[in-house]
Amino acid sequence: MPRNLLRSARVALAGLTFAGLTIALVDFRGFAPAPLGHVLAETQFIPGLVSLLVGGGFGAVLFLIGLVIALAIGRIYCSALCPLGILQDIISRLGGWLRRKKKFLPYAKPFGKLRHAFLWGTVAVALAGWSGFALALLDPYSNYGRLVSMLARPLLTAANNSFVGLANASGWQGLYRVNPAWTGLGVVILPALFLTVVAIMSALRGRLYCNTICPVGTALGLVSRFAAFRIAIDKTACTKCGDCLRSCKAQCIDLRTGTVDASRCVACYNCIGACDEQGIAYRFSWKKSPAPASPAPTVPAAPLTSQSPDRRAFLASIAGTVVASSAVLTRARAETTSSANDVPTLVKSGEASRAICPPGSHSVDQFLDRCTACHLCISACPTHVLQHALLNYGLEGLLKPRLDYTSAYCLFECTRCSEVCPDGAISILDLATKSVTQIGVADFYQTRCVVELNGTDCAACSEHCPTKAITTKPFRDHLRLPVLDQALCVGCGACEYACPVKPVKAILVTGRSTHGKATKLIEKKATAPNPVGDFPF
Amino acid sequence: MKTRRDFVKTSLALGASLSIVGNINSLFAAEPTAPTATPSVPTGPKSVLAAIRDGDRVAMLDKALAELGGIQTFVKPGQTVVIKPNIGWNSSPERGANTHPSIIGHLVALCLTAGAKSVSVFDNTCDQWRETYVNSGIEKAAKDAGAIMVNGKDQTLYREVQIPNGVKLKSALIHSLVLDSDVFINAPVLKHHHSTEMTACMKNLMGIVWDRGYWHKTDLSQCIADILTVRKPALNIIDAYHPMVRNGPRGKSVEDCVEMRTLLASTDIVTVDAAAAKLLGHNPADITHVRIAHEMKLGRMDLENADVRRHKLA
Repeated sequence: MPRNLLRSARVALAGLTFAGLTIALVDFRGFAPAPLGHVLAETQFIPGLVSLLVGGGFGAVLFLIGLVIALAIGRIYCSALCPLGILQDIISRLGGWLRRKKKFLPYAKPFGKLRHAFLWGTVAVALAGWSGFALALLDPYSNYGRLVSMLARPLLTAANNSFVGLANASGWQGLYRVNPAWTGLGVVILPALFLTVVAIMSALRGRLYCNTICPVGTALGLVSRFAAFRIAIDKTACTKCGDCLRSCKAQCIDLRTGTVDASRCVACYNCIGACDEQGIAYRFSWKKSPAPASPAPTVPAAPLTSQSPDRRAFLASIAGTVVASSAVLTRARAETTSSANDVPTLVKSGEASRAICPPGSHSVDQFLDRCTACHLCISACPTHVLQHALLNYGLEGLLKPRLDYTSAYCLFECTRCSEVCPDGAISILDLATKSVTQIGVADFYQTRCVVELNGTDCAACSEHCPTKAITTKPFRDHLRLPVLDQALCVGCGACEYACPVKPVKAILVTGRSTHGKATKLIEKKATAPNPVGDFPF
Repeated sequence: MKTRRDFVKTSLALGASLSIVGNINSLFAAEPTAPTATPSVPTGPKSVLAAIRDGDRVAMLDKALAELGGIQTFVKPGQTVVIKPNIGWNSSPERGANTHPSIIGHLVALCLTAGAKSVSVFDNTCDQWRETYVNSGIEKAAKDAGAIMVNGKDQTLYREVQIPNGVKLKSALIHSLVLDSDVFINAPVLKHHHSTEMTACMKNLMGIVWDRGYWHKTDLSQCIADILTVRKPALNIIDAYHPMVRNGPRGKSVEDCVEMRTLLASTDIVTVDAAAAKLLGHNPADITHVRIAHEMKLGRMDLENADVRRHKLA
């Protein structure tokens, strides 16, 4: 259909965005260059909004451009850029194939109160100081990120691993096994539930989710209602054949009145090509009166208190799952701390954080305010020390990245998470700054140390320490005992990871609530232990 | 360039050798100088140590190998070779934390020239392995020379081995390349170490096992000696061109290294480590794992009784 260039352009842009973001999020081998995910994520609505609110950057500029475009031609974000929207199109297309017959979606009235309850509920929670939680919960981009990172990435990794043996045996060394780093089953349930809801809604009702639950869809709808160019029906050409209706995934074309609900139209342009009479197209709509050309759906702002039962149930289910799944973990942690009976330095000084947040995020509070838990950094982290939190930060930090030193540590020469983060939750760090950014501080417990306990060599902590905050000193007979200088410690967790003592390690890192600056030890050139120039034997 | 057919042959041969060779001790028979699993007393033939100075790394390696009879003494046509460098840390070659890539590249080329069927290179790295393989420069050097870089972070490639002669280490998961290859070459870099004072050939073999943490917890120096009762490398080469003399084994910067322009090689892993200890200013007997290995008669640390072949190339 050559006359529907708009639709072709939309499909092409959607394909590129969706493929690019999916590759960046599903990447379990570090193939994707950091700018791929970073730039595409910057085009997203909520990360752009966060960038704007925290003081600019490229994402903020893109956000403003996006608003202008929405005011000019409507919600193209929802069709061409939003990965969750594109995923819904894919699901409903697949659903159509399975049914072998396209489902006919007639015009439907908007769920005006419900969609505004979701939008203003989100705004209210954000204004109440839970911006990070509110934005993370319903941002369509971040939700898509979590779907890919928590569901698709482990599955793809497992598939990769099952082919490694065969590939290597046949002489192809290009594949290697990757630790799938499975998320705990209790948490996988969150994205799985979300996917189920979205899949059912899109398979049955097209873009119902976007026009009912998604606060970004509703917010953009408030703008697109007043767009300069809106999709409109030419009543002189229209034969009321219903072709446009059949092609509309938003159920927003009302043939009886000959109007299109511009607040729900996601600008997919399917209808334009579907109409043989060329009776539906963009029309400049600012000509006559500024009042909406269509009988705009009445959208009274719902009182903030009238949260829908659906939403309440949704929140309750999430809270329930999380509480249940992390209760065991929290208890284990509490026992660990009490049995150890050692109070970490940062706890004593009142600077300890609930969990360890990535270098570049400055403080836990700032991080939780800005991060929308899109998991781009979690996918990009080469050591997988970045894992999603359960209740480690508290409820507002649900599924946001934290550094988990049980099976990895933060690579000293790496700033990858800061390179991919789209909205300044992790601000860009150069290596020199990162190498003195103190995200936490280690505490050494000599009474648990192998060298003290068993009288044998170890110093695994010192081996791994990149700043030499941990060195060793002579101890008893030919042994060396770890010595810790906390001023040099950046909190990377290499020591904690390497310490072989179980179940409670002899060196443990506590996160800083506000990141500090470590001292950098500058040493002179080392001297040769023997006179140079000859063999010492 | 290796063709796919070569790879297929290699893997078939590897599989075949795996099924035939039940007892890995029988492999020692193929190695001209490696002692048997029950070690001989230090009154046996003198250990030969090649100690070379003042050349570039490649020239010193050539000279050292010439002293030991040439690469063809160790690698026969059609054999599979595994080279274990030190690729522990995600740092660049000039930092001295890993074996220099030029040594590994040259060694791979020599093995292939001697007719090796395949040459594999791996380490169970300390830092993230992909970054480390790349940033150490070893992956490129080895691949360019025709070697296969093998994953050291894949537990399915390790097999459990009983270690009856180990004092503390009674069993370990060991990389199958070390168990199955015809020739095992050990090629570490010389470094200071904050626990064992020194890391060279013996300590480099921590990278052939899956669970190093067990060694740290159990008795590090004793375990380092115990692993030698499983399989000793046929050839040990130490890169001491630019050794790290403090803040080891990871190091902080190039300032931790001093230029020594030395390379050591021997078939006796204890002798070569004893010489390395001297390079770092230690009495070999003060390095606990060297002393233990000598006492267990796994090699000889008494350099005064070794056949030391010293050469200065400049």
